[in-house]
Amino acid sequence: MNSVDRAGPASAKNASGDALRVDGIAKRFGGLRVFDPISFELAEDEILGVIGPNGAGKTTLINVMCGMIEPSAGRVHLGQRNITGLPFHSVSQLGVVRSFQQTNTFSKVSVEENLFRAKRFCSKRSGPDLGLDDLLHDFELAGHLDEPSDKLPYGLQKMLGLIMVLATRPRFILMDEPAAGLERRERIRVDRFIEHARKVLRCGILIVEHDMDLVKRLCPTIVVLESGRLLAKGPPVEVLARPDVINAYLGDSAD
Amino acid sequence: MVSDRRRDFKLDLWGIVLLVPLLISPFVTKDVLISSLTYQISIGVAATMGIYVMLRMGLLSFSVPSFMTIGGYAAAISATAGWTDIFFLTAISFVAPALVAAPLGAIVLRLKGIYFIFITFIFNEILQILLFETPDLTGGANGIPGVPPATLFGHELAAQPQLVAVTAALAIVAALITFVVTHRFRAEFTSIEENETLAESLGVALWKYRTIGFIASAGVSGLAGFALVNMLSTAHPSLFASWSVNSYIAYAFVGGRGTLLGVAVGSALLIAVTNYFSAFANLSAGLFGVLLIVVMMLAPSGIVGSFVKLADYIRSRSVTRSAPSIKEKQNEFG
Amino acid sequence: METIVSTGVIGISIGAQYALISIGFTLIFGIMGVVNFAHGAFYIIGGYFAYTLTSLLGAPFIFAVVLATFLTALVGYFVEIIVVEKYVSDHMATMLLTLGVYQIMVTGATLAYGAEPVDFRFPISGALRWHGYFVPYSTLVVLVVCAVAIVSIYYLVFMTRYGIALRAMADDGAVARAQGIPAARMFPMAFAIATGLAGLTGAIVTPILVLEPQGGEAILGKAFIVVILGGLGSVTGATASAFIVGLIEAYSSVYLGGSKGALALFVLVVLILLVRPQGLIGSSARKA
Repeated sequence: MNSVDRAGPASAKNASGDALRVDGIAKRFGGLRVFDPISFELAEDEILGVIGPNGAGKTTLINVMCGMIEPSAGRVHLGQRNITGLPFHSVSQLGVVRSFQQTNTFSKVSVEENLFRAKRFCSKRSGPDLGLDDLLHDFELAGHLDEPSDKLPYGLQKMLGLIMVLATRPRFILMDEPAAGLERRERIRVDRFIEHARKVLRCGILIVEHDMDLVKRLCPTIVVLESGRLLAKGPPVEVLARPDVINAYLGDSAD
Repeated sequence: MVSDRRRDFKLDLWGIVLLVPLLISPFVTKDVLISSLTYQISIGVAATMGIYVMLRMGLLSFSVPSFMTIGGYAAAISATAGWTDIFFLTAISFVAPALVAAPLGAIVLRLKGIYFIFITFIFNEILQILLFETPDLTGGANGIPGVPPATLFGHELAAQPQLVAVTAALAIVAALITFVVTHRFRAEFTSIEENETLAESLGVALWKYRTIGFIASAGVSGLAGFALVNMLSTAHPSLFASWSVNSYIAYAFVGGRGTLLGVAVGSALLIAVTNYFSAFANLSAGLFGVLLIVVMMLAPSGIVGSFVKLADYIRSRSVTRSAPSIKEKQNEFG
Repeated sequence: METIVSTGVIGISIGAQYALISIGFTLIFGIMGVVNFAHGAFYIIGGYFAYTLTSLLGAPFIFAVVLATFLTALVGYFVEIIVVEKYVSDHMATMLLTLGVYQIMVTGATLAYGAEPVDFRFPISGALRWHGYFVPYSTLVVLVVCAVAIVSIYYLVFMTRYGIALRAMADDGAVARAQGIPAARMFPMAFAIATGLAGLTGAIVTPILVLEPQGGEAILGKAFIVVILGGLGSVTGATASAFIVGLIEAYSSVYLGGSKGALALFVLVVLILLVRPQGLIGSSARKA
């Protein structure tokens, strides 16, 4: 599970051929410019990493793509369909689902109830079995089905959150720092999750991350967001060697 | 308190079962005090159902008296005009407020919960003003006196026990409707209450479920209004004063906001207490205030909720004492 | 023409009253995340304190008003410490707790003074009459007092270190605490100031209008309208909306008559919300 199948090219499309595309999206809050017009595309079955120093606008990018907030300019397309400005829940129903950086489960109810709800809320699409039980076993959740989710260790709660996203049968998963808060040895679970998700659903995956090892392991392509601009795009080894990218990080840590 | 679908289902059923004696009591005893308590509790339960529905989503709705007004007056106007069939009156006292709730909800439910609460608070005042400003329709400051009692298959339900029984029946109908709505949408309502953002991210259309709840809340409040009007044979603005909502809120929270059983227990208990201390009737608001504070600070799950917690605690203690190596699935309460 | 101007002055006076009430209410929410359902009760006990001091103890009016303000703030201080403090930021809990406090205070007032309005009169009667303009002196006094109070609050909140600390608490409590701002000491003071404002308004306005236990509810409703329009938590929003509401109320009272004014206001609020769910001034952070 060390390196992802890089033979899947960045622009591969599956039978439906729909890609998630952002087209010149920009965001400002009042006078504060978060990011300038950015464009890129995420195809189904593709993995795209988004990295950048803190404050570069990465979480806002996810918020815009999944419909939590509206862009100040530009559009988000799902295939042919313009999904800009659609309410958050509608975007999820269309299959573009995000995960959260902090743990986000229904804390007072059991693991089982959490999964029940995730399956129920996005029940529009049906299809082959998602194999969630395998994931529950792999992530050591199978023995805790009756426990309230806020009693679980942090890492398990995060993985539960990811499984819940998968339960909605997404076509695209926007992952906001999946490894944040996970211990080193737990981070490989993110790999496992992504592998499983791609296998059963062939979903496109966007990962906003700080963990460079994970990014290098999993993402054939990454984009760098710095001060609201798209600084570079390409394979991690290349991009991370670029002087302007290195500067962006060094400059940030020197402040 | 860990939310448990099956346990809450049972508790809710018990809440409805506990209302049945209200329906039977008028035919079993002619005692004046019991009769009075019965109809007061019935109306209180029905109105508190209106509060309860929205509480399932973590929203506090001050609109219950407003929708009681609409339902009550709709019934009064219809009955005075000659349409006294009880099924018709029940239907119209549910539908009229629901029809108002739909567009109002569409506007105010888009806002954060707090603004919704404020608007429902103000709505009461507005409705009172509307009552005074439309004397041709509503009798204005005089209200509508001499409302004919409801009829069942042409037979007038005018005797005292029958009037009381009608209120009890309406309370049960209100409870059943609330039960159906809150269980059909239990996952959605509870998710909205607990974590709206997560619910939305999983595809829950907040606005849709809030509106469903609001319409249901309006409808059952309307039933309570009809019950009140039918019992007193009068529709009058003073019956639907804004401050009455504080009582219903107290019933819900003191009884236990998590289940229908809490609504039943809270209403019965507090109404009985108010009647017992009727000499201090003007103190009842203060008493409810004290109770609200005490409950919120010491026992936020209310009476029923606290009992459930106690039962959980006792059960978990006895499990660890008797069979520490066996992990039992939690038994249902009751 | 004269009526328009006179009504305008009255509207501004009403707006100033609403501003004082709403600023207090919105401050409590903005800084502490508390929805103070008892705010209307502080308004009336301000009136009752002033009434007791003047009518029953014979104190001069100004002295009574000032003392009433402090007494109300004191009550607010203790209410915060005893009831509210632990539940700061929990909207639902504080709503219910303050609802309970409201009922206790109103019942207390009813027990002490009766349910009927008491005979509390403004010491200055008569009106300014000039070429058809008509403005009661009481209205002018209220306007001046409220204006001074509003300016003082602005100074406190925006200019002093204490006020800046308060706003830091409102913006990000955790960070503010990390900077050493003592939240536990500040909240009771903030609550006391806000409720003191309500008491002040009650002390000078109820002798003009009416002093009765139920008076708190209506004023709370007005505060709600103001913060709906202006955005809960925004002091400037509350001030601006308060004057707008006051003017609308004055003009609709005079030109539409009676309670149609309140109706008109409500319809207006709903219409505005239809078009701009964020209120007149608020940001889109309003939306559910």
